[in-house]
Amino acid sequence: MQALDTISIIILLGALLVLAGILSSLVALRFGAPLLLVFLLVGMLAGESGPGGIRFDDVRLAYMVGSVALALILFDGGLRTKFATFRSVIWPAGTLATFGVLITATLTAPVAIYLLNMSWTEALLVGAVVASTDAAAVFFLMHSRGLRLRPRVGATIEVESGTNDPIAIFLTIILVEILMAGPKSWDDIALLLVQQAVIGLLLGVIGGRTIVGVLNNVSLPQGLHAPFVATAGVVVFALSQAANGSGFLAVYLAGMIVGNRTARAHGTILAFMDAATWLGQIAMFVLLGLLSWPERLLQHLLPGLAVALVLMLVARPVAVFVSLLPFGFTFRERLFISWVGLRGAVGVFLASIPLLVGLPNAHVYFDIGFVVVIVSLLIQGWTVPFAARRLRIAKRRPDTFHPRVELDLPGQRAQELVGYPVAPGSPFLRRGFMPPWAKLTLVIRDERVLTPEEARGIHEGDHVYLLAPQDKAQALDRFFADLPPPSSPDPRLLGDFFVTGDVTLSALAEIYGISFEGDQSMMTLSDYFVRRLGRAPQAGTTIRVGEVALVAHRVKDGRVVTAGLQLAEEEAAPWWKRIWMTLRRMLSD
Amino acid sequence: MPLTDIVAPNAIIPALKVNGKKQAIQELAARAAELSGQNERVIFEILLQREKLGSTGIGHGIAIPHGKLPKLERLFGLFARLERAVDFESLDGQPVDLVFLLLAPEGAGADHLKALAQVARLLRDPETANKLRESRDAEALYAVLTMTPPATA
Repeated sequence: MQALDTISIIILLGALLVLAGILSSLVALRFGAPLLLVFLLVGMLAGESGPGGIRFDDVRLAYMVGSVALALILFDGGLRTKFATFRSVIWPAGTLATFGVLITATLTAPVAIYLLNMSWTEALLVGAVVASTDAAAVFFLMHSRGLRLRPRVGATIEVESGTNDPIAIFLTIILVEILMAGPKSWDDIALLLVQQAVIGLLLGVIGGRTIVGVLNNVSLPQGLHAPFVATAGVVVFALSQAANGSGFLAVYLAGMIVGNRTARAHGTILAFMDAATWLGQIAMFVLLGLLSWPERLLQHLLPGLAVALVLMLVARPVAVFVSLLPFGFTFRERLFISWVGLRGAVGVFLASIPLLVGLPNAHVYFDIGFVVVIVSLLIQGWTVPFAARRLRIAKRRPDTFHPRVELDLPGQRAQELVGYPVAPGSPFLRRGFMPPWAKLTLVIRDERVLTPEEARGIHEGDHVYLLAPQDKAQALDRFFADLPPPSSPDPRLLGDFFVTGDVTLSALAEIYGISFEGDQSMMTLSDYFVRRLGRAPQAGTTIRVGEVALVAHRVKDGRVVTAGLQLAEEEAAPWWKRIWMTLRRMLSD
Repeated sequence: MPLTDIVAPNAIIPALKVNGKKQAIQELAARAAELSGQNERVIFEILLQREKLGSTGIGHGIAIPHGKLPKLERLFGLFARLERAVDFESLDGQPVDLVFLLLAPEGAGADHLKALAQVARLLRDPETANKLRESRDAEALYAVLTMTPPATA
């Protein structure tokens, strides 16, 4: 019976640890501390040198849990990334994720050479371990403070962090192999990179499409859709890894495909994945915290700090500024992207690979990686909202409104039922207006279900259910949440007026007196964008024509659908007024 | 250019009752014709033509229909607050309740653009828009429109 007792105790301890992790999130929210850090601390406290005194040195288990958790996190990240977002920032984010990671790792390495007496290869491994960023941490922080990032900046950070993990993982594994088995030729490395990328890409796309196909065509019992998708994501990951491809790339792509194809049970899947990622993160961080050895950590505290500082203040900023050079980000935006290069799950996870394969001095990598992640979470994590406001990258917007209920309607997939409580003072009540594509279907009042005819109007305190196209459901929020209009809109992203892309230049010239050079009067605006740029425009691309600036507003398949018209600039305000406005802005921050 | 040069005190409609975008434009064209002595039909057609290129609803419940009128002598502005907001096909999907009509003479060129930009930025300022929504009579609306210095964006 002894064996059974031991198992029960292990289960009890494990569950208690996860529970402690979950409850500690309350503390973290109260103090605004980065949650992941708190999970790590819980693990460390429970470990052998903390009050918990649990002896844990099962690197294999930690690595396995870490892999699955990471796969789920990336899958979830993919699910929430819209194709349009992905396409709009694929170049800047892609450059950051590849070239940027290389620069970061290379510039971090000299510190390790100097302070830890390492060879270049070993030092590069240190650099690779800490080279990838963690978006989950950034977005969680922004969200909990009710801040909204500028769309292009937010999207770049998001896509970068999803795509740079595979690169950092690849780099780490190559370096570990070189350290274990001797040098490799560049050909081999290139071949391996291509193999990893191609297999990952293929299996990701095939896997994603298969998941969508099964989901839409096989009727699973209610409630099994979400677990099916999550497990299938892990299968895609593991399959790709087993086939010597990049499982992390595959699972991210598969997630994106599933998230963007209209599929059944979209809402449930997202909710389930949310829970799964949370659990994954908690389990992973608590385990990694357990695995650490705080006393030994102290030995490497100083070099770790040095690596972290060089990474945050030199390597990452240089990587960002160089990588983003061709993409027209402002100085402040680049500064912000540099600062939010938060390290997280992947860093510690990668740091455990040397331990797993038994590399000499493996604990050095682990300890350095661990210290860097903690420092980054502490310093950068804590200051991200502040930086966002100071650099004016974020708009304050209490985005805490989430009472929307979405219900699938089996039998078709275009429409869904969206439910809202009608709060006093909601824009809908104030203005009594409903977009034409939404159809009021049910009203719930005093625990009674009424048809719109029976209800005769909508009152405060009712719950309403509307029929709406799935992709537009979110837009209904505006009518039921009392969101203040975003103040001081970013003039770069807006025009004074909007026109559609198929407008001819002559029509514009006639109304606004703009003169376009040459005889192009019958050309459409979207053709004009391509002609002037010599490439496909992106949302936010601006071209000047005399006094007027044309801003690509919505772009689809490389063509401008709507364009903003920025009319002549106002005359500059007198200097005393500008100073006054600046002061006022600073004070209201 | 001060807005008083464009909008006359009698070119304010404090509570216009309309059921939709087209009717709103029709009513505004009628009133503009009355005040400027131009042909109502021509004004209406010109405004509709501009709407065909893309809605002049600029978001946040504001619309600024505009166009060029060959026989007009100077810039002409007309402001209306709608009693009930109507769908104006704005990009942000929000119904519109503040409408500023701006007509320009054929040769206005840069002045036309400046005036349009000025009106757009004035109305887009949330404070101004709120004040306009709270004001009930024509005098108060006129005061808000003409007294507020344009916000430096």
